[in-house]
Amino acid sequence: MPCRRPALPFQTEGPVSVHLVNHHHGQPDSLVHRLAAALKLGVALVIIVATVLAPIQWRAWFISVTMLLLLTAGLSRLPLFFLFRRLLVLSPFVLGVVLVNAFQPGDRDKWLAVAVKSVLCLLTVILVSNTTPFSQILRVLKSIRVPTLLITTLALMHRYLFVLMDESERMRRARASRTFTRGRRFHWNTLATVVGQLFIRASERAERIYDAMCARGWK
Amino acid sequence: MHIPDGFIDGKTAVTAAVISATGVGLALRQVRRELPPRKIPLLGLAAAFLFAAQMVNFPVAGGTSGHLVGGTLVAALLGPGAAVVVVTTVLIVQCFLFQDGGVTALGANIFNMAIVNSVAGYVIYRMVCRWLTGIRGQVTAIAFAAWCATVLAAICCAGQLAWSGTIPWAVAFPAMATVHMFIGVGEGLISALVFLAVYRARPDLISETASAGQPQRLGELVRYGLLVTLGIAIFVAPFACSWPDGLDSVADKFGFGHKMSPLLPAPAPDYLVPGIHWAVGATAVAGAAGSLIVFALALLMGRWLVPKPKDL
Amino acid sequence: MSCAIEVSDLKYRYHDGTEALRGVSFRVAPGECVALLGPNGSGKSTVLLHLNGILPEKLSGNGAVKILGEPVTPNNLETIRRQVGLVFQDPDDQLFCPTVEEDVAFGPQQLGLGNADVAVRVQKALAQVGLTGFGRRATHHLSHGEKRRVCLAGVLACEPAILVLDEPTSDLDPRGRREFKALLRQIPATKLIATHDLELVVELCSRAIVLDRGSVVADGPTFELLNDEKLMLEHGLERPHILHHHHPH
Repeated sequence: MPCRRPALPFQTEGPVSVHLVNHHHGQPDSLVHRLAAALKLGVALVIIVATVLAPIQWRAWFISVTMLLLLTAGLSRLPLFFLFRRLLVLSPFVLGVVLVNAFQPGDRDKWLAVAVKSVLCLLTVILVSNTTPFSQILRVLKSIRVPTLLITTLALMHRYLFVLMDESERMRRARASRTFTRGRRFHWNTLATVVGQLFIRASERAERIYDAMCARGWK
Repeated sequence: MHIPDGFIDGKTAVTAAVISATGVGLALRQVRRELPPRKIPLLGLAAAFLFAAQMVNFPVAGGTSGHLVGGTLVAALLGPGAAVVVVTTVLIVQCFLFQDGGVTALGANIFNMAIVNSVAGYVIYRMVCRWLTGIRGQVTAIAFAAWCATVLAAICCAGQLAWSGTIPWAVAFPAMATVHMFIGVGEGLISALVFLAVYRARPDLISETASAGQPQRLGELVRYGLLVTLGIAIFVAPFACSWPDGLDSVADKFGFGHKMSPLLPAPAPDYLVPGIHWAVGATAVAGAAGSLIVFALALLMGRWLVPKPKDL
Repeated sequence: MSCAIEVSDLKYRYHDGTEALRGVSFRVAPGECVALLGPNGSGKSTVLLHLNGILPEKLSGNGAVKILGEPVTPNNLETIRRQVGLVFQDPDDQLFCPTVEEDVAFGPQQLGLGNADVAVRVQKALAQVGLTGFGRRATHHLSHGEKRRVCLAGVLACEPAILVLDEPTSDLDPRGRREFKALLRQIPATKLIATHDLELVVELCSRAIVLDRGSVVADGPTFELLNDEKLMLEHGLERPHILHHHHPH
């Protein structure tokens, strides 16, 4: 198999997607990667729901969940820096809640609860999503009777996500190369045209995909 | 506006999930029944489009930029049912793949951004379109509808946060509503510009996809409307009206006051920083005035963007 | 003489009324490899889309297109599509499944085969295009050449009698083109290839049809046609350099 090792652990095939997407596409394989998707999703769901419902006073629960997640993170061989960066996504929300509750003479436990719960749940989702291919997640959803139309839509969205993002970036670059003014109004018009074109191309591609599906016998 | 895990509590999450599941189920049924098979891949592609479009930076001032959310735009282009399915798909992928929004909060996020945003946006869009015809009317309609839908979704979000006790209503409502009144302007403007761009390049696409997605029966639209109203009644109304007070006193009289209180949140002005207690009323007034102003702006914008065709 | 493909006086108009095809007629015998040439916009893709009933949108079954003797009608589309394998121009349009395995399996599954049979066909098709072991790979991570080969595998897995390809080697680097040509050479099905790659035409196709502005302007043995410099230039093509030194074997 021709070896095309990405330079950074998080590079994807499309030249542009690497900057826009925070998803880990590197090649590490680990114990966690090899676990069954259904198991990972099931455990993750239990952890998330229980963590959200548990009162913050149940320190034992939160501590053991933290340990389990750290252990899993270690076993998964995902780069720590990457994990940390993804967790930072939460910071504005947590900060907001902390600020609001700081002015309240209520119990401080509330903001601690929110912060801890959201971080733990986020870490759980990060670990599962980066060690499980999306198509496997869809297969699990299908087995729990999620409607086929929704599954097909999810699958097609995932498949063409990067294709469209690359198209959008290419169009934007092409436009920017021919933009000599810095007027904001012109800018917005240009960007809106790019987005409009993106919709048109998506529609036309959808028709071609339909033809390709029919050509191989889809009913 | 994606709520992370831990910001809404169990009861809110479950209620929202039940309402959302019903709404998405309705939408799936409508789409399956009415969308021609040719358009089925369009749902997935529209979801991919929406995601890619949301990443485009519309520069505002000094480093900040606006982004399209797109629920109303998709509803205008594809119909409300398809829009609900499309935005739900985007939210699910964002939640699992990009951790934008929590898993337990998925129900709430879907209610706010897929159902309220798309359905309310669509209804307002069509109402305005009935009044102002032609492409100019459509542009005005979509701008105004997108603004309204954004603000409405934000209000529902505030309600959910308040009902969970994470942030009190008196803080959440003014904050979310006012911020989104400004964000909504961007959303309205961008939605209108994109709609116009699509119309200019492929007017046939607009009429083709829009008519394919229109609910064939009024009943469908009514069902969505009921769901939205139910959600608003649960998440927003208890705060917006003073009936919890009234209900509490009634409940006390009949002796089951304590049973009711955990479910009904009590607005508690004495907890707050002095001065904030009037923020709620002020926001409501600002909202009403704001919608009139925004409508006027949308009219002007429509006139500016779509020059009247010179009659031959 | 029985024909694999028989097109008689095919006409087609676009939505806006422009005539795309003005009475196209040609035949392809079983086992032949025929090239469909023509400048951009001549209608090559439009012709190909008629061969498995995708066009016209409202199929009337008037017999303009016959596959293995049967006219293409709304009733026998299933059979027709089983016999005609169409490889589209943009591999991204055709590769709509998340993994290679799933995409190649799509066709056999639609044919109603059981899981075991599907798996056998998938392995066989992947082997035919030299991509054994690629089953688990994500489709959006493949290189352009690999995508084109997976598209071919997906069609081969249906085991069609006739293979129709729309610009199969465009966007491929020289090695990719060489590899793809070698693959095509080994497939015994009847082949109709719309292409700009004149070297491929010389190497693989015994006959060529030239289309220009919706009409057939030439139909004959490859060497005769491609050596006719005047004809080539007149219709937006050119005499391939390979012919300067090529000897028919």
